[in-house]
Amino acid sequence: MCAIAAPEVFGSDEMGNATVLIDGDIPAELQAKTRRAESNCPERAIVITD
Amino acid sequence: MTEVRKPVQDLLTDYDIFEPEFVKDPYPSFSEIRESGCPIARTERYEGSWLPTRYEDVVAIAQEYETFTSRGILVVPPFPGQGEGAYGGVTAPPITSDPPDHHWHRRLILPVFSPQSVAKFEQGTRDLCNALIDEVIDKGTADAAADYAQHIPVRVIATLLGVPLEMEADFTAWVRAALENILDAEGRKWARKNIIEFFLAQVAERKQNPREDDFITELMNTEVEGKVVPIEYVLGVCNLMLVAGVDTTWSAIGSCMWHMAQHPEHRKQLRENPDLWPTAIEELLRMYAPVTMARIVDHDVEFQGCPMKAGDRVLMAFPAANRDPRQFENPDEVILDREHNRHVAFGSGIHRCAGSNLARLEVRVALQTWLERIPEFELVDKTDVTWAGGQVHGPRKCLVSF
Repeated sequence: MCAIAAPEVFGSDEMGNATVLIDGDIPAELQAKTRRAESNCPERAIVITD
Repeated sequence: MTEVRKPVQDLLTDYDIFEPEFVKDPYPSFSEIRESGCPIARTERYEGSWLPTRYEDVVAIAQEYETFTSRGILVVPPFPGQGEGAYGGVTAPPITSDPPDHHWHRRLILPVFSPQSVAKFEQGTRDLCNALIDEVIDKGTADAAADYAQHIPVRVIATLLGVPLEMEADFTAWVRAALENILDAEGRKWARKNIIEFFLAQVAERKQNPREDDFITELMNTEVEGKVVPIEYVLGVCNLMLVAGVDTTWSAIGSCMWHMAQHPEHRKQLRENPDLWPTAIEELLRMYAPVTMARIVDHDVEFQGCPMKAGDRVLMAFPAANRDPRQFENPDEVILDREHNRHVAFGSGIHRCAGSNLARLEVRVALQTWLERIPEFELVDKTDVTWAGGQVHGPRKCLVSF
């Protein structure tokens, strides 16, 4: 789901587990999508630190 | 079933998930229970169960697998003799598995459902949807459930499993008997016998003639800790994929079609903002989550003040959790661009639906294709829609005109 909401930020491995594609800070133009991915993750697996 | 149904006196102590009004629209009952002083209702019907309705409680139960086990996940007890006979041990891994076996039961099927793997089904699903629409587009009317939704998941899962698409009608009949008409024990027995015999034959054929790039061939030859997986596991996984992959998804597609037929403003919103599709699908899944899963209590426990006993059945009513105002603002309203949507249509925790990526793809493609070809349509008669209920909620007859 996160890979759909923010495909530039989240990918997935062959098990379907999420992977983070970006090293370092999330660029400003991707922040809204990243926050949406975080608030929709059913496993609360995404943690955003400001 | 010909016995007379005793009317429900009190939802909180005597709910009946098969009562016709509840089947048609369970949400008012969920709401009543959720807002009462006792948000976990109880019934003695069908050998008894508990019905939590709050998001927090449903999620806690899904997460606490040591207390709430998966040895029974259907909303009613097993049919008499279910565990007996040569293949009585065949269950439906991983949905019926508990740790530690759950781990490898699930791990072996995850790759076929990864986003990259399911993407391969996009074009084929789109072609199928177009073919179904071709059949009805000149008639000006169609049954969105029986003529459209119902045909999509069964053909997709048959393709995934590498089994004959021409058997669509048989697969559909078995799945309905196994899951929809769940109070009919003879039907369940018949369905199970057919499903197991069918997959036994499929496995035997592949033993003789292994196939390249074939799910069942790969599964039968997989090793775990140096040993080839037991045949019961292969049969069980095939059983699960057929049943879980079909009834659930077509219910979701059907409910979405039922919704779209009544909401021209949402059809317009999607036409004008196609970027909204992913968020819109999640919102529709939240609103019309088709599946309720059960758990069996492992040991006597007091949960939120309820005295649950070992062996008790607990119904994780994901559709109820998805309408909890404590978790979702305006929960009974479809807001296609809803920002915060941590819904549990696919469950939560170690058993969260492994097929969710495929389900999402099917629902999205089914809706997108229909809306492209038939942008304006409406329900012929809102009072003439029939619904399936119990384990899975979705329309079975939904006439639309265009």
